[in-house]
Amino acid sequence: MSKEALLQIRDLTKIYTDDSGEKTVLKDLDLDVEKSEFLCILGPSGCGKSTLLRCIAGFEEYSGSVSVDGTQRREPGIDRFMVFQDFNQLFPWKTVINNVAYPLSLNIKAPKAEIKERALEALNKVGLSGCKDQYPHQLSGGMKQRVAIAKALALRSPIILMDEPFAALDAMTRSGLQKEMLSISESEKNTIIFITHNIQEAIILGTRILVFGQQGHILFDEKNPMQRPVTPASEGYGELWEELHHALYEGSLPAKTSK
Amino acid sequence: MNSKKKHAVSVIARVIYVIALLVIWECVARSGILGPRSSLIFPSLEQIGEAFIKNFIKGYAGTSLWIYIANSMKLLLTGLVIGILLAFILSGLSMVSFIFFKIYDLTVSVFDLLPGIALLPVVIIIFGVREEVIVFLVVHAVLWPMSRNMLDGFNATPRIYVEAGKNMGLKGAGLIFGVYLPAAASYIVSGLKSGWARAWRGLISAEMIFGIASSPGIGLFINQMRTNMNNAEMYATLLVIIIIGVIVQYGILRPIEVNTVRKWGMTK
Repeated sequence: MSKEALLQIRDLTKIYTDDSGEKTVLKDLDLDVEKSEFLCILGPSGCGKSTLLRCIAGFEEYSGSVSVDGTQRREPGIDRFMVFQDFNQLFPWKTVINNVAYPLSLNIKAPKAEIKERALEALNKVGLSGCKDQYPHQLSGGMKQRVAIAKALALRSPIILMDEPFAALDAMTRSGLQKEMLSISESEKNTIIFITHNIQEAIILGTRILVFGQQGHILFDEKNPMQRPVTPASEGYGELWEELHHALYEGSLPAKTSK
Repeated sequence: MNSKKKHAVSVIARVIYVIALLVIWECVARSGILGPRSSLIFPSLEQIGEAFIKNFIKGYAGTSLWIYIANSMKLLLTGLVIGILLAFILSGLSMVSFIFFKIYDLTVSVFDLLPGIALLPVVIIIFGVREEVIVFLVVHAVLWPMSRNMLDGFNATPRIYVEAGKNMGLKGAGLIFGVYLPAAASYIVSGLKSGWARAWRGLISAEMIFGIASSPGIGLFINQMRTNMNNAEMYATLLVIIIIGVIVQYGILRPIEVNTVRKWGMTK
């Protein structure tokens, strides 16, 4: 693990306490994420992958540390911007452009026109500048998720956290958004941590893929060897899929690649 | 039926309904079937119409109904502004401090059940027979339902809005103004509606129970008509009360609703 990793997570432990007792969701997790990496995290339900994202975002209390550029972060902040799975993450009382411009106006001192300009530019990147004056309730689920991504792009957040953002979309919209994410990740410099249940999505998008077992135990952690753009016909796709599938469903690596 | 036709039919049905009611009224008035009191209970439409105009031109004892309306409106508006501001401040503070929330929640629950008129004797002892009494009752009428709605609205704010707000750097007062208030908009609008309705009724009731000579209101006017057996004028004043209510409902409250929660798709 290199010292200069953009995001450093050390000894992260998260325990939920409720009436039935304590539940350890994440245990002594160490993780480094390099700048401009597109990290996809796969894992079964309840493995703590969403909790990890919420801890990084600063929505949860935890023990251990999360550092960005060497500085500890515990509170939410725009250097780690979250794109939620829930379509309703946009404010319904603001137009599309204002949903993108509002976080900007809170965080940077710039003339109104400049902020609008920057928001519009971000909307352009997700192909939604034509809907800038609409309200969120007039958009489809896929469009709402694009606006949420545009918010992060406009803020130029160094780290974008995406918690299964496309999980509730239909297959066609999902595939369209994956293509868009791919081109965004190639043209922008943001580091992206992307959680998904979908092995194909992880292979298509990730430059590095992680598979979590229970309590955030890392079963698999490797750079994605495939050349972008990846399709199921790409060479090596089948083997990688098999490997990830095994790790995901059996909780271990296939015998031939086990170390 | 398409929606346009449906709309036309519903308008025609309502117009026929109103005309039928008026015709029945007029028949009862002319027939005199209720005996000697008939003309008191059912003055003819013509008499009511004349009284309506007379109320504004001649008024009572040289004071036009306009003056009464202006006085009522002044007190109502003062009370509404104070009540709504207080509701915003106190409900907002409840979001900052949990202890304050618990105490204010209890206060709202208790006073929301207390009719303003029942407080009248105490309030008169405190203020004397003065305008402040009416303003107090209007504040009482609007503050509690408004606060109840705002507290409910704040508590019903989806967690995702709050987290999205925190994510973009909002905290404390910024979170209240930037997220909780707009997220509670549909609750605030319905609080405004019920607050206004209660305040309007409370105002008329208080004015009927005691009139202030220095600033006579609509309620007092009705009472003066009653004591003088000017029943046509009394009915005409009831019409005025309804008309003002309709104007506020459709001229003020409705546009507020259409331009906020409806436009935002937060209500159907």
